[in-house]
This record gives sequence, C-alpha cells and structure tokens, in this order.
Amino acid sequence: MIENPPIAQSDLRCATCAGQCAFTPTTGQLTCHSCGACHDIKIDRSTDPTIEHRYDPALPHTEQPETTPEHPYGCETCGGEVIFAGHSMSENCPYCDGALVERLRDESYPTLGMIPFAIASDTAQENVQNWVAKRWAAPSDLSSHASRSRVAGIYVPFWTFDSHEAVDYTIRYDIRRGKRTISKTHTGFMNHYFDDLLMPASDHITPLIRDGILHDFNPRDLRPFNPAYLAGFAAERHHLSVRQGLKNNAPDKALLLRNRIKSHSGKSNITNISYKTDTTGIKYRRILLPVWIMHYEYAGKPMKIVTCGLHGRTYGERPFSIPKLLALAVLAATAVSIFGFLWGAGGLY
Amino acid sequence: MLVDLGPIVTGFLLIAVSTCVGVYPIKKLITIQEAKHELKHGSPGFLRSFSGILIIALWFMATWFFATIIGDWYNTDDLAGAISRSRHRLEILLRILAAFGRD
Repeated sequence: MIENPPIAQSDLRCATCAGQCAFTPTTGQLTCHSCGACHDIKIDRSTDPTIEHRYDPALPHTEQPETTPEHPYGCETCGGEVIFAGHSMSENCPYCDGALVERLRDESYPTLGMIPFAIASDTAQENVQNWVAKRWAAPSDLSSHASRSRVAGIYVPFWTFDSHEAVDYTIRYDIRRGKRTISKTHTGFMNHYFDDLLMPASDHITPLIRDGILHDFNPRDLRPFNPAYLAGFAAERHHLSVRQGLKNNAPDKALLLRNRIKSHSGKSNITNISYKTDTTGIKYRRILLPVWIMHYEYAGKPMKIVTCGLHGRTYGERPFSIPKLLALAVLAATAVSIFGFLWGAGGLY
Repeated sequence: MLVDLGPIVTGFLLIAVSTCVGVYPIKKLITIQEAKHELKHGSPGFLRSFSGILIIALWFMATWFFATIIGDWYNTDDLAGAISRSRHRLEILLRILAAFGRD
C-alpha cells in the first residue's frame, strides 16, 4: 500500500525568498505570498493514481489506518476533522465554521490519488452568488445572507467503486384486460457493471450534493497525492474502512439497480421489484476531490452551498420563503380551480 | 336575476384550502424542477428527488375534481346531481393516480 508523504512546511517555502507558498488553482503552481514567484509542482511519475485496488469481502482485508505526522484539527461543532498544509491555518472549521481544536494524533488511510483545485475562490464565490440568485421562492434576503459568507476550499475524501453485478430479478406488473387489471410476474437475469461510482467518504458531502456538483469524473485527471496541492487549503483524510464505504454506498447501488431492472424488463406499470445480486470484482480507490464550501445560517438553521473545485458546478441547501410559496400556491390553485370550474360548468366528463 | 352565491363562495373556499395544502406540493415542484436542471441525470440523487411527485399530482387532481363539481353545481343548480355525475371523473382520476403510484 502506498504511504502518503508527510506535509513538510519546508517543502512549501519559496526557493527565491523562503516565503510561504500556496497552491494557485488557476495556474496549477505554487505561488509565493511574499515575492509572487511561481514554482512548478513536481509530480511523482512512479506512482499511478488511477490504479484501483481489489477488495474481496470474503477475505480478511489487510489495509490498516496509519498514524499521520500532521496534527489534525477537530471541529467542536460538527465533529469534522481536517488538516492544513502551509500558512492557511484557520481557526474555523471549513465545513460548519465551528471552532477548531488541535488534536494530538490522527489515524487515517492513505489517499491514493487526488485532483487539485482548478477553480479559484473568486469564481467559486461568484458561482455561489449566482446559484443563490436563481432560486425560486427563496427569501428576499437570502442573497445578502450568502454574500456575508465566504467560500472555504477543502479537499474532501471520496471513494470510487467498481463492481460486477449478476442480478436475478422478479417483478410484478399490472396489465389491463378490458375493465379488469391483471397482476403478472416476470423473472429475468442481467449483468451490470458499475464503473467509478463516486461515494463521499465524509458526512459533510451528502450524496445529493455529490450529484449536484460532480457530473463528470475522469480518473485520468487523478494525480498522485502531493502535499503541495494542499498548500493554502484544508483537507479531510480518509477515516472509514472499505467495508464501511461499501455499506454507505449500498443504498445508492440498490436504487440504481432497481432503476436498471425496470428498463431491462421492458415492462410498465411495475408494482414490485425483488432481486438477488452476486457482487464480484469489487475495486476501489481512495481519492481527494476539491470543493469550495460556503456555510451560512438562515433562521437559525445551518446550511451549506458547495461548488465543485474542478468544473465550478454549484449545488446546496436553501431555505424557502413561505409567503412566496403561498403566492405561487394561490396562483396555481386559482388556475386549476378555474379550469375545473369551466370543465364542470361545460358539462364535460 | 339573483345569482346563487353557494357555488361562488364554495369556489373561493376551495381556492383557500387548496392554497394552504398547496404550499408543500409547490415546494416539491420547485425542488424537482431544480433537480431536473442541476442534478446529474440518472444519478441516485436525481432519482430520489422524484419520489414525492405523487403528492403534486394528488393536489392538482383533487383541486380540479372539486372545482368540476362546483362548476356543474353552478351551471345546473343541483349539487346532489353534480356530485353524482362526478363519479365517472373520480374513477378516471383514481386510475391515473394508481398509474402514477406504480411508476
């Protein structure tokens, strides 16, 4: 198993003036905060970050968490644990803005690959503001609430999972025979291959937010883990075992399989689906993906909006304005009622 | 000619009740619309966001159904007859809802 190199502060010093460097997403280089010099990041060509690791649930898994030399910072509010590289040490949690407390040691699994930030904070901030402005029935002061908060850049742990599913299924479906509805049963078999299913390994990125921000993932964009990419950002490490990751991924997989069975069966009016799947060829990667998170509070409720650090897609949590919802409901109710009234008055059936 | 206010008042009452009940379906409609445009198509989040679509259909159909009875009542001045004539519409609506529920 690959070991992640420790984050040495000396590696992030400027070769020209010994100032602190931070990773610049727009150039993909380290930029010195003192003299402005740019330095290329050396990529370790001997490591292939796209390699997937096999996992067999029937065999004992040898992967063990390691104690990392960096001191993690734990959030007293949400329990999140992050590490920092370079000078950007924050006193607040990038996830929830809670106070951070230094912890003595961190046990985590090595990251196999990562994709560095490609979107700068200004662009992310703009994307978040645009996203907020486009919300229907949002409170009028939501934009000003969001503009008071700033986005924070963080590398979030993700898994990619591959697996082959041999699925035996039974469906029940209804057909109409004259005025009668008849229930029928159909059994079938299908093979399905899941390739690079992305699963967040952090409670802070929900599967819904993942589906909002990560539309395209290309494993060829992965690079070997390099602490230089973390300079100026926070990062959360992998703390969950593969077994836990697969357990978290199970509801998503079940939903996708049921949907696949529906289209594979070619039947409509399906009332029930039951299936048994034989899962083989499980492969996984532990990776870090960049996101910009803005946390804000509305009416005492904490919410977050997330921008993908790769392509800038934005998605998040938002409040609704009850008066605006009522106004839309009265419009819709009036329109439907007039339609129904005219239908009834016209003597139509 | 004196207009019977019964159907008109009931119509306004229907709009008021439908508005109050309609807050949740409207919220759901907006959520689905946003999901359709912003979530990755075919992803688990995208599929899950459509799970409550039945409530929108139910609200729309219930409002329409009661409005048809009021319209019939207004036209014929016969509430009992309007309710009786609405049974056929109700049957069709229940079939549509059952199909929605299955999908």
